[in-house]
Amino acid sequence: MSADSPASVHGAEQAPYRPVFVGEAKARLQKLFEQYPTKQGCLLPALWMVQEARGWIPEEGIAEVAEQLGLTPAYVKGVVTFYTMYHTHPVGRHFIQVCTTSPCNICGAEEVVKALLAATGCGELGATSPDGRFTVIETECLGACGFPTPVLIDNDFVESITPERVSGLLQGYK
Amino acid sequence: MGYPFPSHAKETVLLSRYFGDAAARTYDGWVKRGGYEGLKKALGMTREAVIEEVKNSGLRGRGGAGFPTGLKWTFMPKSVGPGRAHYLVCNADESEPGTFKDREIMRWTPHGLIEGCAIAAYAIGAERIYIYIRGEFTEPWAIMARAVAEAVEAGALGRSVFGSGNRIEVVLHRGAGAYICGEETAMMNSIEGKRGNPRIKPPFPAQSGVFGMPTTVNNVETLAAVPSIMMRGAAWYKALCLSSPKSTGTKLWSVCGHVQRPGNYEVTMGTPMKDLIFEMAGGMRPGRKLKAVIPGGSSVPIMTAEEIEDCPLDYEGIAAKGSMLGSGGMIVMDDSTDLVYQIMRLARFYAHESCAQCTQCREGTAWTTRILERILAGQGRPEDLDLLLDLADNMTGKTICVLSDSCAAPVVSGIKKFPEEFEAYVRQRRRAASSGSAPALAARS
Amino acid sequence: MSDLVNLTIDGMPVSVPPGTPLIEAAKQAGILVPHYCYHPSLPSPAVCRMCLVEVEKAPKLMPACVTVVAEGQVVNVNSPAAKKARESVLEFLLINHPLDCPICDQAGECELQDYVFQEGRSGSRYDEYAKRYNPVEDFGPDVLYIPNRCILCTRCVRFMEDVAGEPILNVSERGDRAHIGIDDGHLLDHPWAGNVVDLCPVGSLISKDFLHKARAWDLDKTASVCTGCSQGCNITIDTRDNTVVRLRPRANLEVNRHFICDTGRMNYRWMNRGDRIEAPLIREGARHAAVAWDPALDRFAQLVRGTSGPVVLLASAHLSTESLAMLKRLLEDKSLRAAVRIPVGEEAPLAGVSGLALRRERAPNGEAARMLGFGTDWEATVAAASGAALAVVVDEDLTEGEAAQVSRAKAVVVLGTAEPQVIASAQVVMPLTNTAEESGTFVNRDRRVQRYLQARAAPGMAQPGWWVAAETLGRVTGTDHQPTTAALAFALAASAVPALGGLSHESLGLVGQLARSGAETAGAGATS
Repeated sequence: MSADSPASVHGAEQAPYRPVFVGEAKARLQKLFEQYPTKQGCLLPALWMVQEARGWIPEEGIAEVAEQLGLTPAYVKGVVTFYTMYHTHPVGRHFIQVCTTSPCNICGAEEVVKALLAATGCGELGATSPDGRFTVIETECLGACGFPTPVLIDNDFVESITPERVSGLLQGYK
Repeated sequence: MGYPFPSHAKETVLLSRYFGDAAARTYDGWVKRGGYEGLKKALGMTREAVIEEVKNSGLRGRGGAGFPTGLKWTFMPKSVGPGRAHYLVCNADESEPGTFKDREIMRWTPHGLIEGCAIAAYAIGAERIYIYIRGEFTEPWAIMARAVAEAVEAGALGRSVFGSGNRIEVVLHRGAGAYICGEETAMMNSIEGKRGNPRIKPPFPAQSGVFGMPTTVNNVETLAAVPSIMMRGAAWYKALCLSSPKSTGTKLWSVCGHVQRPGNYEVTMGTPMKDLIFEMAGGMRPGRKLKAVIPGGSSVPIMTAEEIEDCPLDYEGIAAKGSMLGSGGMIVMDDSTDLVYQIMRLARFYAHESCAQCTQCREGTAWTTRILERILAGQGRPEDLDLLLDLADNMTGKTICVLSDSCAAPVVSGIKKFPEEFEAYVRQRRRAASSGSAPALAARS
Repeated sequence: MSDLVNLTIDGMPVSVPPGTPLIEAAKQAGILVPHYCYHPSLPSPAVCRMCLVEVEKAPKLMPACVTVVAEGQVVNVNSPAAKKARESVLEFLLINHPLDCPICDQAGECELQDYVFQEGRSGSRYDEYAKRYNPVEDFGPDVLYIPNRCILCTRCVRFMEDVAGEPILNVSERGDRAHIGIDDGHLLDHPWAGNVVDLCPVGSLISKDFLHKARAWDLDKTASVCTGCSQGCNITIDTRDNTVVRLRPRANLEVNRHFICDTGRMNYRWMNRGDRIEAPLIREGARHAAVAWDPALDRFAQLVRGTSGPVVLLASAHLSTESLAMLKRLLEDKSLRAAVRIPVGEEAPLAGVSGLALRRERAPNGEAARMLGFGTDWEATVAAASGAALAVVVDEDLTEGEAAQVSRAKAVVVLGTAEPQVIASAQVVMPLTNTAEESGTFVNRDRRVQRYLQARAAPGMAQPGWWVAAETLGRVTGTDHQPTTAALAFALAASAVPALGGLSHESLGLVGQLARSGAETAGAGATS
């Protein structure tokens, strides 16, 4: 993942799956092969590449990665479903993760969640807002406990979010 | 420094000296601040001498286990056998609730971490370093990526580091949302492209680690301390010690929760805990009293306000009080805290993060959570507390890794030290009288 | 041996080679350490935590499946701490495991049931919200997966990955949401995939073929050998009310370890077929009439005694060594040409076990036939039958063309199991038992001689082939000391075939023995 990759995660892509590992992406994958002694070692980075390109990891993405790395789709799927940051179904254009583990919890994190659910129109955790713009989930400790409440929107890690700051925060995400 | 606040007089500022100083992030900025001299010096020493220096410094693993670092390095084979490449893995998975120090090291002094990694790699005969950064750390990732590129360009990494003929390369590996990958053997599996399942030991990483090769795994803070040990010597580091002689150097304490000035504070080992909480971190909010402290990240036993009164901040001092230094993620809770609720929330954390291998952990973390949820919903029974303690006992010391034990720790210490909170829920179907509602924190600028 | 490791398990001294895990060492002391994820034919992950035992001087309970023996170790499998740990694992497993026993096929042979009865709590303390509900999944073609019952031992995943070499099963998700997953659009149709049903300790992976067919405690279990190919995998035949309902692998570390292929597993329906030859038949005019054994045997003996021309013996490679040997002995004084048919099929190895495969040679006893001097040039021998004075066909389904050729022999005798084997022109037809209905031996492709036992009662008046030959031989020679049991028939064969020298039914036991090699028998005199 380069430092210059697009900030936002693509929205719900229902169009037919286009292979990811062509052209420049294929070249990047080849470079990755040099960094691990086995192709299997490239699995997590390759899955990130699919998610960055397509917004989530569909079955076809799993199959494509499996083929590129010489693994079975079942094996890849077992890995994908283990790690919570990989989306196995489409999500809103902007994916919002709010930490609610105890250090943030005792500093009002659950109020921040409520405010976000209301402001985005999602209504409930894990649901995508009617306009397709947002999905909000609770997540576990984000490692910013001194700055409650941290929120990860797509690849933007923002901190010290309070219910009052929520609407201002969302304005930047179309 | 007490980042994001100005340094406090009682801090010993070493690792955190440049927190907040954006100019320290660049290669040139780091060199201007004396950076990479430690690496150059190490490259002029024998590997054994470097290891000996770190051993004598008393540096211990800062990720949570506190294992003597130099000793760990001696477990690696003395020479690299044919087809048996050595690896260094830097654990930047920082996911222990309450801990937020490694991210600051990466954000402000990425070259300091790179330098420490390179020295360690040289010492153990590794030519490749995997820095495993948790997937959520998007900013540290970007900063580290730029820093690695700069280091390569400047010759601080590459086929012949500073022309020494030693090859040292860094590969950044992005995690994807799994606390358990902070466990060293699970991390190695994750690097290999597998589910983050911890492995049984033996074999140990130094015999069979990533890709079956000899491997050492060290925490970010541990590695970041290495350059200054090279420059100023083991004796200097060892002398940074206020209490137990087995705990030397400085520790970054991530103080969070109900304090006026949450942030990272760097103190000499042995500094009194109450100084950290009440002076450096500004103590309680107005009108609030301290109720409980979890000193080392959520996996260690909870301490009461009385217990922290005379507790030195070092491995032995905290252990003597029945808890652990752990990662140094200090969660401070005042009397507005519903402790039963927070212990439930921690149990739920562990239930979410269990890898599912061991029966006790997979089922026990979820069961513990459900019992606590039921108690919180006003349907607790007196026998529930004994049940929770028995489950915790069944979950301790029986599994491949200690996630299961970590779930048990807050439950056991909570019930034993704060029985009135649990009794209130069970007998009166409500929160204990002393627990008010948690106010929202004032917005921080 | 001086390099064994000596230790004590539950007070009993044990001596085993270095590197033995405690769970195997305990077997020497007659102790079964309860376990789920461990299996001697799979790599050990030590995840179920059932096998934790107390080891003196160790700070924690140790998993017996991966802890190796050490000199002087003192191990306690049934210490209070170990028992409490096991009891807790069982309780943890039961919090999500549904009480399906009344409708679960595994009941009666379920390791969860067994250990809970043995040392689980009498009641669960779990009183939270409803157990999970996930729908049954069809992993196909024969395997169903019931996620609710799964205890996540991962034996199935490890079997497919490490033994079958096809990682088509995975563990999906994590924590208590974890379950076994399979590729979308894929099936468990690997030639050896059916073994996951046996490996599953509970009723989570079950066989559609066996679904709701019989209760485990209603089954009679008999040691046998698969007839599907020349590998000779050891099996157990499960019968209920004299009907074969299931075949399962029987452990034999020298042959098939703990596995059988799906072809062999499903190869049992013919054992129950109803269209059997029930009684001996003698040709009277244009039709066959049922008679008692004596007239039929007398007739056969008469034909044998009276024949001076070429005799052709066409036999099945499914016949026991005893039957093949006695038939040969009956006719060996004649100008005899004998052959067996060897059906062939695709080979399907089990990657993780060397020397184990579904073999091209799809008959169990071709090797014995060859040892006894039978040829395998079937077509030529059938052709020769048309000019023979006597053609004897034993338990083989002939094609129309083959039957026509054989019918041109001066006299035809049929020994068979099923009605379609009756040839209209046969002078005598005699009913035979099939493999499940008799006791005998097969010699597999590695020249291992293995016994199989009788699993069901024979229909009608059917008798084993060796008995028919022995009885006939007695009448032909006018002697009466012919073998009266399969064991005696085998002994007679062993006395005449150097390769079988020194073997007996008793010495073969239930794991079999290797026949002597050609080099070993070279100096032993003329072969038969």
